[in-house]
Amino acid sequence: MDAFNGRIPAGIWGLSGALLVAALVLPFMLSPFQLRLAQQILLFGGMAVAWEMLGGFTNYWSFGHTAFFGLGAFGAGLLGQQLDPSLSVAVKLMIGMAFAIGLAFVAALAIAIPVLNLRGIYFAIAMLAFAEILAEITKTFDAFHGTSGFPLPALLVPGLTKVQLFYFLFLVLFLANIAVFVWLRRSRIGMGLTCIGQDEDTASMLGIPTERYKLIAFVLSAVLTAMGGVLYGYSLGFISTGSVFRIDISLNLILYTMLGGIGTVAGPIIGAALMIVLTQVVLGNLLDLHMMLTGAVLIAMVILAPKGLMGLARKVWDRRRGTAEGRP
Amino acid sequence: MTILAIEGLTKQFKGLRAIQDLSFAVERKSITSIVGPNGAGKSTLFNMVSGYLKPTAGRILFENREITGKAPHLVCGMGIARAFQIAKPFPELSVEKNVLVAATFGRIGPRDPQATTERAIEVCRLTAWRHQPASALSIGNLRRLELARAIAARPTLLLADEPCAGLNETETREVIDVLSTIRESGVTVLLVEHDIKAVRRVSDRVIVIEAGRKIADGTASQVFSEQAVIDAYLGTAAP
Amino acid sequence: MNATLLLQTLVDGLILGGIFSLSAVGFSLIFGVLGVVNLAHGVFILAGAYLGLWLKGALGLDPLAAIPVVFLILAVIGGALQQTLVSAAIRRGSLMTSLLITFGASLILRDLLILAFGPDIQSLSSTWLLRTYHVGGVVIDGARATGLLASLVLLAVLAVALHAMKVGRAIRATAQQSFAAGLCGVDSNWIYMLTFGVSAGFAGASGIIIGMINPFSPFDDAYWTLNAFVTVVLGGIGSPVGALLGGLMLGEISTLSSQYIGPRFPNVFIFCALLLMLIVRPNGLLGNAYKASV
Repeated sequence: MDAFNGRIPAGIWGLSGALLVAALVLPFMLSPFQLRLAQQILLFGGMAVAWEMLGGFTNYWSFGHTAFFGLGAFGAGLLGQQLDPSLSVAVKLMIGMAFAIGLAFVAALAIAIPVLNLRGIYFAIAMLAFAEILAEITKTFDAFHGTSGFPLPALLVPGLTKVQLFYFLFLVLFLANIAVFVWLRRSRIGMGLTCIGQDEDTASMLGIPTERYKLIAFVLSAVLTAMGGVLYGYSLGFISTGSVFRIDISLNLILYTMLGGIGTVAGPIIGAALMIVLTQVVLGNLLDLHMMLTGAVLIAMVILAPKGLMGLARKVWDRRRGTAEGRP
Repeated sequence: MTILAIEGLTKQFKGLRAIQDLSFAVERKSITSIVGPNGAGKSTLFNMVSGYLKPTAGRILFENREITGKAPHLVCGMGIARAFQIAKPFPELSVEKNVLVAATFGRIGPRDPQATTERAIEVCRLTAWRHQPASALSIGNLRRLELARAIAARPTLLLADEPCAGLNETETREVIDVLSTIRESGVTVLLVEHDIKAVRRVSDRVIVIEAGRKIADGTASQVFSEQAVIDAYLGTAAP
Repeated sequence: MNATLLLQTLVDGLILGGIFSLSAVGFSLIFGVLGVVNLAHGVFILAGAYLGLWLKGALGLDPLAAIPVVFLILAVIGGALQQTLVSAAIRRGSLMTSLLITFGASLILRDLLILAFGPDIQSLSSTWLLRTYHVGGVVIDGARATGLLASLVLLAVLAVALHAMKVGRAIRATAQQSFAAGLCGVDSNWIYMLTFGVSAGFAGASGIIIGMINPFSPFDDAYWTLNAFVTVVLGGIGSPVGALLGGLMLGEISTLSSQYIGPRFPNVFIFCALLLMLIVRPNGLLGNAYKASV
């Protein structure tokens, strides 16, 4: 779909390559605290990109993606407890991951069909309700150990500290998210999804199979988010309702994406990096104020830069180049 | 050779019977016009043919296959495209990209999106505006964008819904010329229009609908000299 | 099945529901008239409760008597918020911008409440409470009954204002067709500000009532906003009757599921009811009071 998206400029390949090399070297240069920040940026930035696969193209904004995050964590964790104790942690993780993928796939299909008929705010809240229902189920039935939580065995690899190990695992998932997003955007499906976001009825009239495409985007987004949940659970070493079914995770994904620029690859990542550093480093001691700052950032961004930082950057870039093309 | 057959079509809304037992056939590679006073049911007819609404009764046959009640994107995949009266472009995409989408999807079969897009933009005389965002276009251009998108979907049947509404003489003539060119390329056009002069100039056949029923069917000169048609449009003379 | 227990549960649900209704009606109005989902709604409710607490401490004012004062203060805050931030969001077009802006506002306001009053749980009490009644084996708690009565009175006032007063007609006209209403001389900007202010006022008033019945903390705001959303989805958008209907349904679901299935279950049922209603009839039982249903 080069005509629709434009060929990827050589500069972007170069920049990505450089960033990748830097990312690989970083764990051996940063302090554990800094590395943990980097972990969070990779995890939540990556999941924001996954969220975008539906929300960024189609304007179906899910306010309940923590549902899949928690589903993945609980699914893999509980299964891990049932498995033969003689299996290594790494194997348990992989089996748990496969199970979580299947679980998220099925759950996404099941909820998508009724819920993707809703538009705008109704879809958003329906997803929120879905997330809350799953959270409540884990809290209510003792079999899930939601309220008290349960521990997970530690994953260790010789030569790397735990922080470094999970940094690399998060990095792999992060790269997978980016790859899937870019592939999606440049495919026919991505073109169709963009049009669904512009005018869904007209898209259908032009021959775009809207229901099928929305479903594909939804399921991809759900599965990748669930994978993030699995890794997060193992990195914490502990799974409980309160740690993985969190409404602020859902909201942060949206916030990071909006801040950075919806519809772009770099947007959610930049947004995540900015907000995570801001709330954890700059305001680390002023815990009371960090919600207030988030609120202020949100308002400022909506009023001043509705297309996020990437949108601002693009405006400046376009003005320099003197182009006035209609861009999506 | 019939490309579209409407048989006993009826559409009942909650209090209103919009279409009543309507039957007619459309010849391949012709321009057939549907005319009638406002509220006669013309848009409802189009909505049913394109799959947006399901008929209450009756059948719609396209190229001898039944398409009654099929979903819009399936109908489009079979080869029916629609240009809307209230233009609905993708506002943030450029003219070129709008057309490219239709060229990439549209009727199922072998496709060459780039070439189709080029041709559609050319036929509809949009070359000067190809990089403009659709939201920046004037109404005359928007109507031709609708047509460009519709033909880029490579239809065998084009439903053109009042493409001349609100246009001046020159713009109307441009649209009519575009429709003729489209017919020359082998596409059948089913046209709904109010502008009788335009209809007379371009139609091979005219069907008149009033209050959901067919009241006349023939060439333009035949139809517009019928008393029933004159009464429907102009009303009967005061006693 | 114990008939008295069932009756008690139903009555409890009605009382709770009446209070939910008042707490949701402001949210419903804003959604119906401005098309905005006000995520700061819960914070308005809590602000009302805290203001009641402060007025009691500073001026010795009984919370019930403080209701009109709190109403006015919140109305001003709400109107100001609408004029500054919300109208900016509406101008920018998409539904989502107003969501994000009100969400951002809620974060800021909530942290302000924490800074001003502390994060601990508080409660309000009034000396004007009705006493507890016993009717045929059913216990009607005095505080809750007072709350219900106050809620119904306020809802009735709103309903009358919307239907009988000129400004109420103007609000309804603007909700249906703001452009046409403008052509008739209705200043839609003023109407939006008024609606937002009135809604915030009602939220604040309900906050006092809620504060008298339940302990509260600044972290409850999301719960009350979500509650309001559920009420609106269940009962209908934009009208006090819809809010009443939705609130009563919500109250009954809460008490019945808590009593007969288990005290940990109400939330699951509430969210399931929400999801089901969204799928089947997103505009609620009574639909949108101002527009044709989506």
